[in-house]
Amino acid sequence: MPKSDLISAIVLVVFGLLMLGAVIPSQTSDGGDASISPALLPQICATAITGLAAILAVRAWRKLTRGEAAGQSVAASEWLACAVVVAAVSLAVILFLWVNPALAAAVLIAGLMVFMGERRWWLIIALPAVLITGTWALFTQVLGTAIG
Amino acid sequence: MIDSLLSVSGAAFAPGNLAWIAFGVTLGYLVGALPGLGKGTATAVAIPLTFYLAPLAAIAFLVGIAKGSTAGSAVSAILLNTPGEPSSTPTAMAGYPLARAGKAQKALKMGLFASVIGDLFSTLVLIVVAQELAAIALGIGPVELTAILAFSMIFIAGLSGRSMIKGLIAGLFGILVSCIGLEVETGSPRLTFGMIQLYDGLPLIPVAIGMLALSEMMIQIGQRQRLAEEADLLQGSPLREDRIVTAGEWRRCFRPILRGSLIGTVIGILPGLGASVGSFLSYGAERRASGRGVDFEESGAIEGVAAAESADNAVVPASLVPLFAIGIPGSVIAAILISAFTIQGITPGPLLFLENRELILGVYMSMLAASLILLLVGYFGQNIFARIVRVSPALVMPVVVFLCGIGAYLQGGGVFGIIIMVIFGIIGFVAKKYDFSFVTFLIGFVIGPSFELSLRQSLGLVTRVEELANHPVALAFGALAVIGVWRLTILQRRQMAALEDREA
Repeated sequence: MPKSDLISAIVLVVFGLLMLGAVIPSQTSDGGDASISPALLPQICATAITGLAAILAVRAWRKLTRGEAAGQSVAASEWLACAVVVAAVSLAVILFLWVNPALAAAVLIAGLMVFMGERRWWLIIALPAVLITGTWALFTQVLGTAIG
Repeated sequence: MIDSLLSVSGAAFAPGNLAWIAFGVTLGYLVGALPGLGKGTATAVAIPLTFYLAPLAAIAFLVGIAKGSTAGSAVSAILLNTPGEPSSTPTAMAGYPLARAGKAQKALKMGLFASVIGDLFSTLVLIVVAQELAAIALGIGPVELTAILAFSMIFIAGLSGRSMIKGLIAGLFGILVSCIGLEVETGSPRLTFGMIQLYDGLPLIPVAIGMLALSEMMIQIGQRQRLAEEADLLQGSPLREDRIVTAGEWRRCFRPILRGSLIGTVIGILPGLGASVGSFLSYGAERRASGRGVDFEESGAIEGVAAAESADNAVVPASLVPLFAIGIPGSVIAAILISAFTIQGITPGPLLFLENRELILGVYMSMLAASLILLLVGYFGQNIFARIVRVSPALVMPVVVFLCGIGAYLQGGGVFGIIIMVIFGIIGFVAKKYDFSFVTFLIGFVIGPSFELSLRQSLGLVTRVEELANHPVALAFGALAVIGVWRLTILQRRQMAALEDREA
């Protein structure tokens, strides 16, 4: 998959350069009396990532210029699923913080069930209800911790 | 050693501990049997429960889950031709045709027996080898440790994906991410962006749950249509001989099981190779030995199921050898177990046998008990698990996402843990889709702090290049790392060329 390799390699080169040029200098101290700078290992890693990503980009570019097939890309349905899971969890976090933990969990589970094609309304109600009650009982009553 | 093991058998075989092992094995078997869910997901999601358990019960519970889910993944592989994880693919190749011929129960039983034998064999090797290796590891200094860790990372990066470069990038990214937090020598904040929550570094469990479980759910939810379509119904055979393993089949499978157990154990001890390599190697060896060629997949082969399952299950206990002996996690399960050890205030590595000898011996005995419990749970629960594989993914996946959230919340300092989980879920999704080894990332993340510490100590000890001559072990591992890069790159190029030829 040379095309996706090229894209991911370019992203990594940019990431590596950004780390080396901006993030590591601004987010690490000079170390003072330390024998070795705190920035040493991050710099080694970022430099190596940049170098390896550059090699990956060159190789992928050569393959593409030789006329090799671009290869499989990630299906739209998979990106959609990724976005939906992120959105569902984010919504649940918002509801958890500002409304109610049980409602947050119910929205997360029921929302994903509906997205995956479940249409039996009694199951959409029953599964979150049983799961939330079970989790609450396990963690707060049996194990003695608190959620929410 | 036997006396020592017997001395801790009281704790290991206490009803409470056995109950946790049985719960772990059953839960693991259940999750493993569900299409698309594997041992990594099962173990990562279960970690929060261990926080409230005694150390022995916690580790035994997680090991039970790992063993159960490895064996359980054969159920969906044989019945639905949908391996729970890649290492069960050979089982599906040899077992699914048997299931279509009405011999599903026979294939499931042989898969279970082979799993238990492979697992038991590998556990015994772990018991014998790990302590001896740890005794050697105790004499290792920081220079040698740095070289060993660097060699392990390169080895894992080269073997856990199709591309050495991508593997190395993933491993380095893991080490880079592990640098977040207070720096070990000066105590100054590093890459924290002023966030106090990051001063202790990124919490391992939300990172692991995100990379392993949540990213896998994103992928599985994206493929929900395919999962639903594959859940076709199979008819069982009314004939008794189609449902049991006969004496003749036992004789035919004896050699493949032994070979598979040996292959799985050796592969498991080598960091980074993983269960897939073990099960494919064992399956391939049996296929060649049988001389049946493509008939192996067309008609199905119980020897193929035995070979693949024995190797697949032998990998799990053997992969704990480098963890217990040197402190290097050689597999996803080992990386997850590190977090469980950390929760209990225990550091895996050679000192484990000195400082927590009773615990480790108890873990050994619990692992042996788990093997036997696995046999009982698998045998008597076979029909139940066979029904569970047909549960709709629309019910399973949301529940797993919810459990991921609970785990990240409890072990990651509240909502902060969930945010970390989501970020690493996205990174894991992209890594899996673009073939960057998430296993190497996770191992890099786990060994990062040890690597930095030993590197700093080494730089203090070795100030001139010629001083390296005083560290022949480090030089040997350095040379092995260079040779590893060279040989693995050639190997991968050949494999890619062969793959492209086949596709063309």
